[in-house]
Amino acid sequence: MKQLISRILLLAIIATLPVKAAHAQRPAAPETLIRNATVLTITHGTLQNTDVLLRNGKIAAVGKNLNASANARVIDGTGKYVMPGIIDCHSHSMLDTINEGTLAVTSMVRTQDVINPTDVDLYRELAGGVTTLNLLHGSANPIGGLNTVVKIKYGRPASEFLFPGAMPGIKFALGENVKQSSRPNQPGVTRRYPNTRMGVEEVIRDAFIRARDYKRTWDEYREASKKDKNLIPPRRDLQLEPLVEILEGKRYVHAHCYVVSEILMLINLADEFGFKIKTFQHALEGYKVAKEIAAHGAGASIFADSWGYKIEAYDAIPYNAAIMTRAGVVVSMNSDSDERARRLNIEAAKAMHWGDLTEEQALKLITLNPAIQLGIQERVGSIDVGKDADVAIWNGHPFSVYSRVDTTFVDGEVFFDRETELARRPELAKERATLEQAEPNRPRVGGPSPQSPRRRPSKHEDEPQMTQIENRDF
Amino acid sequence: MPKIRSRLIVASALLFVFAGVSSAQHSATDTYAITNARIVTVSGPIIDRGTVVIRNGLIAAAGANVTAPSDARVIDGTGLTVYPGLIDSYTNLALPEAAPSPSPGGGGGGGFFFAQQQQRPAAGPNSTQPAGLQPEVMVEDVIRPGGNEIEASRNVGITTALTLPRSGIWMGQSALINLFGETPQQMIVRSPLAMHVGFTPLRTGGYPGSLLGVFSTLRQMMLDAQRYRDSLAIYEREPRGTRRPETDRSLAALIPVIEGRMPVVMLANSEREIARALDLGAEFKLKLIIAGGREADRVAERLAKQNVPVLLSLNLPKRTTAALAEADPEPLRVLRERVEAQQTAGKLAKAGVRFAFESGSNISDLMANVRTTIENGLQAADAVRAFTIWPAQILGVQDQLGSIEAGKIANLTVTRGDLFDRTTRVTHVFIDGRPVDIKPERAPDSQTKEQQ
Repeated sequence: MKQLISRILLLAIIATLPVKAAHAQRPAAPETLIRNATVLTITHGTLQNTDVLLRNGKIAAVGKNLNASANARVIDGTGKYVMPGIIDCHSHSMLDTINEGTLAVTSMVRTQDVINPTDVDLYRELAGGVTTLNLLHGSANPIGGLNTVVKIKYGRPASEFLFPGAMPGIKFALGENVKQSSRPNQPGVTRRYPNTRMGVEEVIRDAFIRARDYKRTWDEYREASKKDKNLIPPRRDLQLEPLVEILEGKRYVHAHCYVVSEILMLINLADEFGFKIKTFQHALEGYKVAKEIAAHGAGASIFADSWGYKIEAYDAIPYNAAIMTRAGVVVSMNSDSDERARRLNIEAAKAMHWGDLTEEQALKLITLNPAIQLGIQERVGSIDVGKDADVAIWNGHPFSVYSRVDTTFVDGEVFFDRETELARRPELAKERATLEQAEPNRPRVGGPSPQSPRRRPSKHEDEPQMTQIENRDF
Repeated sequence: MPKIRSRLIVASALLFVFAGVSSAQHSATDTYAITNARIVTVSGPIIDRGTVVIRNGLIAAAGANVTAPSDARVIDGTGLTVYPGLIDSYTNLALPEAAPSPSPGGGGGGGFFFAQQQQRPAAGPNSTQPAGLQPEVMVEDVIRPGGNEIEASRNVGITTALTLPRSGIWMGQSALINLFGETPQQMIVRSPLAMHVGFTPLRTGGYPGSLLGVFSTLRQMMLDAQRYRDSLAIYEREPRGTRRPETDRSLAALIPVIEGRMPVVMLANSEREIARALDLGAEFKLKLIIAGGREADRVAERLAKQNVPVLLSLNLPKRTTAALAEADPEPLRVLRERVEAQQTAGKLAKAGVRFAFESGSNISDLMANVRTTIENGLQAADAVRAFTIWPAQILGVQDQLGSIEAGKIANLTVTRGDLFDRTTRVTHVFIDGRPVDIKPERAPDSQTKEQQ
């Protein structure tokens, strides 16, 4: 009994202290019952005065007058909204570096190698009801690096962030960012190819021709080595292996693009090699070719109403989401920004204002649709029994600018709780005061001249100050 | 006549020892005895009063009942303590161009400023790889004796150091050197000792230009090395009828690495850098050693489980700014980091992670920082071990160095007072059995030095 009590106590501590995580064996998430809330299920409408039960990291039940076990945490949801965790299909949060811009084809680099689980942006995103991110390589190269889909388990080691079973993906990029990344950034450095949209197409085609040859070489070797044991195997090429996976339909392509010509170019190129583009990222002119995008089976992940911030963004219209949705394209709203990621709910809401999407259609833009685009729709994206308990409790409708998140759960565990956060601030202030006073190794007066702590550059990849995203470390 | 002669010898020995003359005139048969001293053997119990005999560059005997041989130059060790010579397990000593000491505060994957300051990596002729990606580079080829840094290290009692320039990704192969000798050949204890890896991208404009590319490059080259090895094996089995693999020194240098025969030292300080190094080490089954290790305590469980030792930097992070009113407040995380770095050594010892100290090329703060780690949870005896037997074990030279035992290299540090006491003075340093010129006083703590 004593053991049970201490266990419950431990669970309670873990539940209320999401940031100070215990590293060792983690007990299963505690049971949580949210009572009498308005539940935005996404797949079967809005349910009034409804309970949601989270158990063993899953949504265990949705309905009226649910029962929970005695040790469950019960939250009164009266007047509150329960929504699936928001999924951001285009993020660069928690990446120590975004671009490997030295080459035009960098399919060998993996964002998973450089994730930083302590990035404070993650906590801010949790506070905006976001639970899943698609971490993409930058847009410096026609073929960029491999993506990583993560659940925001802030405070945990990097390995625990990885979304189990998410489809592997890769970043492609077309247009201005790629062209301009080819400008030499250091004197004496040769200009990188390509420098035009034509060149971008050629680079991608060339890469897939090489990938096709690579696959053939290996197939032939495997066949021949059955007879001849003395054959030297072909070289394993980490650049071409992911491209072979694309050709085999085992890896999703997320292609950064803006204008019609390049969108159609990529569709044609993909058809030529027999693979599919999973999402067109940004696709600000997507509304002009919505039918073609839908026919290819691709999705689009866009901004709500960002416009004119560079030459290829001049034809953007805020009706983009609505037009593409009506044409049958799976559309999502992404952030591409640590800042915008905190308010994706408002970005989705704009699609009701511009283009009259229904509330459910607009909600899907940041929940089920990005889940589909990442191949995780069986796990997340709606409030359905059996799905992962990645949900947020809002104190009002998430489409109101006055609403905010009270609590965010990932796999049934609390990773953000507003009350807890506010409650611990005095304690943190005290800790700061103590640490500043007991400053070890404090330099003497007359030491080196002061400099303010280095600020990290913002990671708004597609805003004007970032048009030159060369080989730069963030 | 013989009497006069032996007197002369004693007198000259005294001259050597106390006036600190160090010249090339020693013969290999020089014999010394330090008598009546407290001996911290490290390998066994402390001998309160005993004698250490040095002969022919080696420790001939040590113990309470050992007597000084008649031909020995005798040093009265009354009131002195003899320690094994201290080992600095990661330096850039004895290199032609001293690299700037790494910033202790820098974490994460950024470090652009730091990278800008780095010296150009050494480049070998006819390599298949650009500078910075040449694992075949050996520090042995560029070591040169002498220099102020070596002297400063000896003055605090360091007799042995692992050395390598910290530049590039495949930084090349390090050597373990004794900090005394007229030629590089005399100094080298073992070379090559280990392969070294850093995660700072190339700044030449070429690939890899980011941390992303660094990992992919390391991976690709290790895969290439596997294929190179396999291709060579096939070719050697049946040269007739097999197409000759192109020779590649860079890949050849990686073969002992991927086969786990040569340890790989990876520079990693923050928790996530160490975790990434551990992941890469596990992926290729490397014999991994972490260097830097500022937040190693946070990954202690994994380090212990994967049996990965740490060369822990004693260049503890310090505040780089005077706290002016108009300066932005530092993040709480940074404030915590500085406090926690002082506790890392103690926590590693408790968690059973093998570690050894390295100075981080900050000799002037070294002893003060050791005291800080002792004040923050490290046992003083473990601090001695982390400078002696632990680095010897981690670097694979435990049969030659790291303790006072008969047969080991006669590297000894003699002090008046306990090694890490504030008031302690290093009185004698023996390297390869020879007394070495040291300044009588240990460099005082950092504060005074910083004022200059």
